[in-house]
Amino acid sequence: MRQYSQIIMGILLFFGSSVVFAHDPIFSPGPHVLFKEGIEVHVGVHREKAGSDKSDELGLELAYGLTGDWAAGIELPYLSAENGTNKANGTGDAHLFTKYRFWRNDSLGVQETAAVLLNVILANGDDKDNPPLGSGATDTLLGFAYGYESLKWYRWTSLRYRQNGENNAGLRRGDKWLLDFVVGIRPKPPVYLKADTVLILELNAEQGQRAEHNGTALAGSGGTQWFISPGVFWTLRNFAIKAGVQLPIVSNLRVGQAESDYRAKLELEWHL
Amino acid sequence: MKKMIVLIMMIGLWSTPSLAAGTQYNLRVDGLSCPFCAYGIEKKLKRSKGVETVKIDLEKGMVVVQVKEGISFTKAHFKKLVDDAGFTLKSMTEAAP
Repeated sequence: MRQYSQIIMGILLFFGSSVVFAHDPIFSPGPHVLFKEGIEVHVGVHREKAGSDKSDELGLELAYGLTGDWAAGIELPYLSAENGTNKANGTGDAHLFTKYRFWRNDSLGVQETAAVLLNVILANGDDKDNPPLGSGATDTLLGFAYGYESLKWYRWTSLRYRQNGENNAGLRRGDKWLLDFVVGIRPKPPVYLKADTVLILELNAEQGQRAEHNGTALAGSGGTQWFISPGVFWTLRNFAIKAGVQLPIVSNLRVGQAESDYRAKLELEWHL
Repeated sequence: MKKMIVLIMMIGLWSTPSLAAGTQYNLRVDGLSCPFCAYGIEKKLKRSKGVETVKIDLEKGMVVVQVKEGISFTKAHFKKLVDDAGFTLKSMTEAAP
């Protein structure tokens, strides 16, 4: 049973990240998309630590604006993971994602929007490695995001549901609900072509259901975690840097799982 | 004296670019809340043949488009480009050369 707990925890650690666009929050999605025929190139580093489990992910993401309200893309992660005694490196599970902004209310200096998003996490990573670099199953994430953005204040909220698949060994990680509330403030009024800074604070909740092995629920899996996540994004014309750290404030995981110590992200992004 | 007047007039004509410039379009755009997002408007507008410069004032929601002499655009053209960039064109005025 301990073996399954490690596998589940490892997979949760390495694949908890979600694809986000610039000027969306750092640890949760917002309703932002790209301009039509726009290209987004995104390079990000993501670190997670929970007890003796640690992972570093280097991700390359490419997105394309199909219309002014609809974008799609791919994220290719490279992982370095360790679980105290073992280490593994290699490509992780690729993400295919799309987001459609179905509602937009524009006024002077204010944009209020809502979008739906779909993320398919493929099973191309190595799930036999120790710790595993892939889940061995195809997962699907469906979400909704709302955002209010003004020249001074920002606020976002999002709700996502992640349905995890079953791998060849009969292991199915528990599905997951993710809920996020975010506020942001711009200390100085923005000027086009000048550097712009926004400070943000996120409250992220994750509720995982129990994992199953050949239909039997596993005791050491699932539970709830709440995080507080301060962050910053800095932009200059079509280039953005985003950084943030996610700190646990409430951890109610079922027995046998290591509680998260922290997660951190640094992302660079270009719009072309 | 005559020569002097002609010379001054010629210098004046050369040094006044507005006399040779094309139309300036002033677009009032709603939804402009961040400079990084506004880049999409600059990108879309500059893809139009004949657009020389695009200036954006976020606080006033103004996008000023300067085009080459002899080039003109319709409001519908700008409305589509602004919409493709993810914003809303509220109004348009043009200042003839």
